[in-house]
Amino acid sequence: MRSNKICLAACFLGMLMSGALSAAVSIHLPPDSPVVLISSDYGDTSETARGGAMLLDLHAALTLRNSTQRRIRGITLLVTAQAVTPGGKGSVTVTSLDIGPNESFPVRVDLRLLRPLQASGESPVLIGLDGVLFDDLSFYGPDKLSSRRTLTLCEWEARRDRKYFKSLLAEGGSPRLQQEILASMTHSADRPTLDVQMIRGGRATNFEPEKQVQFAFLRLPDSPIEPTDGMARIAGNEARSPRLEVKNRSDRPIRYIEIGWILKDRGGREFLAGSVPADLNLAPGQKSQILENTTLKFPQRGGGQLAIEGMTGFVSNVQFADGSVWIPSRADLGAPQLQRVMAPSDEEQRLVQIYRKNGIKGVVAELNKF
Amino acid sequence: MKHPNEVQLALFAGGDLGYWDRWRVRRHVSRCSGCESEVQALRTAGEQVRELTAELPKDVNWQSLAEEMTGNIRVGLAAGEAIARFDRPATAGKASGLGWNAAMVVACATAVFVAGFWINVPQPQKDHLLTALRRIRTERIGTLVSGRNAGQEDVVLEASSFGIEVKENGRTMSLTHPASPGVTVSINMKGSAGVRYVDADTGQVTTNKVYYAEQ
Repeated sequence: MRSNKICLAACFLGMLMSGALSAAVSIHLPPDSPVVLISSDYGDTSETARGGAMLLDLHAALTLRNSTQRRIRGITLLVTAQAVTPGGKGSVTVTSLDIGPNESFPVRVDLRLLRPLQASGESPVLIGLDGVLFDDLSFYGPDKLSSRRTLTLCEWEARRDRKYFKSLLAEGGSPRLQQEILASMTHSADRPTLDVQMIRGGRATNFEPEKQVQFAFLRLPDSPIEPTDGMARIAGNEARSPRLEVKNRSDRPIRYIEIGWILKDRGGREFLAGSVPADLNLAPGQKSQILENTTLKFPQRGGGQLAIEGMTGFVSNVQFADGSVWIPSRADLGAPQLQRVMAPSDEEQRLVQIYRKNGIKGVVAELNKF
Repeated sequence: MKHPNEVQLALFAGGDLGYWDRWRVRRHVSRCSGCESEVQALRTAGEQVRELTAELPKDVNWQSLAEEMTGNIRVGLAAGEAIARFDRPATAGKASGLGWNAAMVVACATAVFVAGFWINVPQPQKDHLLTALRRIRTERIGTLVSGRNAGQEDVVLEASSFGIEVKENGRTMSLTHPASPGVTVSINMKGSAGVRYVDADTGQVTTNKVYYAEQ
């Protein structure tokens, strides 16, 4: 009898705690949003004091429903915590979706906030919608994080890769497709990864001697942008202040480009360090310079320090003034240097995951849906 | 009764005894008529001597005495200088020679040490040392290089296979993800860090990103 009372009290306290924690999270979807919130589960969410700081560990499992008559291909949720990082924000993007009308789908938000104890007691987390991309490439949302471009690029990559895998299926049947999926898994496992830190400003923070290193460029035959010159300052495991010169060799004006940045260390290993983006207005035949006053640092976990020796740049994507995009073709990505460092696309990763769970038949069935 | 000796009595008569001896002799003299008469005789003789010496001799030539004293002082000074001149060249020459030799030895030893050190130190350490020396030359010691601590790194975005985070004024916002094979980390120099993973449960491809405020 007494133990029952204790259990009830514990349950009540748990409910109160859960309610208090969920009150710290606010989900806001506009009234005309193409998705509606069906449920939200805060499972293992907790708020604990750690030394002089308060840690909010938020695990939200949201279930959203497509309330439109179009199929959803991708969605971006905007996550802000003004009390913790007044200007900083986060986003959760789910791509390679195929959500039909009235179908529901899950989105996970795993967030950790660390703030001083003496800061305000409440740490409200706001989750909102930044954009939804449909199968006809139409878009809905405030697009504060340039989600339209990100989701459109992902959708183009998904279409390119599905087309490629379908061609393999048509060419050599399931064995050929399986061979390619297995190659993708091997490549993904072998791909070197690096932890990256971005340091404010362009000042090197270590004591290694700094040197200017010229970019080598990987020429992609059908790229609308041609990088003509470039350099960055290298000091030990830091790369800073990249400066690139590019030329629009297409017959259409360009408004956005992204240059992938491959670093080579003294041992000859190559890593994809990041990307140098630029919003510009580049008429056909025109040249422009891209400058970034930022430092990237590559801390090595449990090993010797990375010593950067060389750099290679390549055009990773381009957006034209009319909103259409260019991405490298599968043939471009087959270049050995790119193949070594580039991660598979979102769609390729999704198909590999289907292969892991359902085998080659599952992948074939998935490809046949499109 | 033991009588004070003649010296003690003479000193007592002149008032030159110490406190304790003066008290002891006075006590004895007050009781001993023989010693009292001796002290009296000594005092009388002392007064007579003082009276005699108070009168200066008539033929003393004070001018010649002063000149003689001045001459003696000059001779003393000249002798001191002569002795100093005699010692100086030998001593200075010896010290100077030894100093240069010592300096040469120290310089040679330093050169050998530096050469050996430079030959044996690996290239990265050489570069490091050169940079440090260059900084000492270009940045004056005690000069504030920038507004913040020079050693302090101002990391604002971090992306690793464990998650991504944005830091601001000691506060951190991180987006984490469940363990997954093929996690891809990316950073955009405009000010965002991202991590992409495949959710093993749902099969969905999710990309978490954090954005730095200044972008």
